Amino acid sequence: MSTHNEHNENEDKIILGDQEILKSDLLTLNMGPQHPATHGVLRVEIKTDSEIVVEAIPHLGYLHRCFEKHAENLDYRGVIPFVDRMDYLAAMSMEWGYALAVEKMLGTEVPKRAEYIRVIVAELQRIASHIVFFGTYAIDLGAFTPFLYVFQDREEILRLFEELSGARMLYNYIWIGGVWNDITDDQLKRIKSFIDRYEEDLKKYHSLVGENRIFSDRTANVGILSQEQAFDYGATGPVLRGSGVKWDLRKNRSYGLYDKLDFDVPVGEGLKGTVGDCWDRYHVRVREMFESIKIIRQCLDGIEEGPFIGKVPKIIKVPAGEIYLRTECPRGELGYHLISDGGKTPYRLKVKSSCFTHVSLLPILAPGQMVADLVATIGSIDIVLGEVDR
Amino acid sequence: METIHLKKTIEADLTFSQWFKNVYSAVKTTFIGLAITFKYVWGKDIVTIEYPEVREELPSNSRSRLFNDAENCISCLQCAVSCPVDCIYIAAVKRPTDAQKIKTKDGTPIRLDLKQYTIDTALCCYCGLCTTVCPTECLTHTTDYEYASYTLAAMKYDYLAPDIRAWRTRIVKS
Repeated sequence: MSTHNEHNENEDKIILGDQEILKSDLLTLNMGPQHPATHGVLRVEIKTDSEIVVEAIPHLGYLHRCFEKHAENLDYRGVIPFVDRMDYLAAMSMEWGYALAVEKMLGTEVPKRAEYIRVIVAELQRIASHIVFFGTYAIDLGAFTPFLYVFQDREEILRLFEELSGARMLYNYIWIGGVWNDITDDQLKRIKSFIDRYEEDLKKYHSLVGENRIFSDRTANVGILSQEQAFDYGATGPVLRGSGVKWDLRKNRSYGLYDKLDFDVPVGEGLKGTVGDCWDRYHVRVREMFESIKIIRQCLDGIEEGPFIGKVPKIIKVPAGEIYLRTECPRGELGYHLISDGGKTPYRLKVKSSCFTHVSLLPILAPGQMVADLVATIGSIDIVLGEVDR
Repeated sequence: METIHLKKTIEADLTFSQWFKNVYSAVKTTFIGLAITFKYVWGKDIVTIEYPEVREELPSNSRSRLFNDAENCISCLQCAVSCPVDCIYIAAVKRPTDAQKIKTKDGTPIRLDLKQYTIDTALCCYCGLCTTVCPTECLTHTTDYEYASYTLAAMKYDYLAPDIRAWRTRIVKS
């Protein structure tokens, strides 16, 4: 029997950079599924050599609810509450993608006011979703205070959504053909005062967290995802933009009202380290919040009076055919492949989720990192397990 | 035997001047952060709602506990059909022709006698689809919350039972 200290010629060699590190039996460690740093029920099986991660394998399926099969037995309106439960931190964006897909197949005209309301709520949802990222990422790296600050602002957004739709998280607000309830002038005023205040506060929060030396040392040059790797693995959204690729479906494949609105697409510039590191992904999300504020401000100026839901038959029967429609969600690209055979229920509803592709980045990002850096990496790709497993 | 090559994390070379720059930036950014957090110590209102003592009032269209006003129900089954989780159980029989003609509050004639109206709230996903299709608006979401129960059976609300009908005065507005 060999002890740890004995050197065996036949054992595996692990080379970090150009030096050979301690080689002994690798320690297999389960991170999760009930680990606070994995943001849900993700289990990462990591093989470590002392503090250094040699291999990381994500295991999925703890939150699998059979959404795609279940959707085949639901009518087109009944799918929306289940769509909410995929990415529960950005339910509005999930609903919008589904509603767009069905509307395109039905040929429904969406009223102008509904379009404006949709953009406003989707961008508010993007802010709320990035707030959760901002707060929990700071917690992952040991800073608890920013979490409490930003969640006060999220509370304001959720309160508004509750008044609009009746629920705080799983809204069922964006319906096929429009939205459920109309937005009042009072609520529009409240959104205006909120974004004015939040824009100032966000600058403060960024200087508290992002510019902080400890935070930037923990995240800069960690978990570098090069442009080629991002293309190879099909990364989308802030992860792709963090690697320096200017690609945003709102701009490049415009839907809704986005082609009429003026906004920038922030990309990672490697300000604190290398392009595509964790700090860049963080910074892209922070700057996206500013862009969302810009979009909401334009919508508040441009919103028109009129109906908020278009003419949709009482029993929706989508003509036979298929569509693949993708939208830009806070976490990346969300695609719905809807096949209809002309009945009351979808024949097939396949969802392409961005979080799923981002989880597959872990095995290439993790090797060579410290365990604490792995936590920073998982936090920076910002996954929601409800969308990974569906 | 297998050789595993790992990428090394990039670390910048540390020079003497860079060391001082690092210390300077660490101290500076820490003080910027502390200045922000100290502003929150004084001069900020308390945002926490101290729940059992202070109760938050939910917005009027909040989707909380379901209530069916059985007197106005015409047993049209639209709620049960639209429910995505099939948690509404309705039984109704045809009203005899010689019986007294009754109407709902908004004037719709009731042609069916409601024998059972049960919602299993343990299954309910509070999506609100059943309330939007209701033609007489008897099935509504109320703003009543806190209704945890010890048994699953207690979460099956039989809206014809007298104890649950008694909620009407408490939780239904106007």
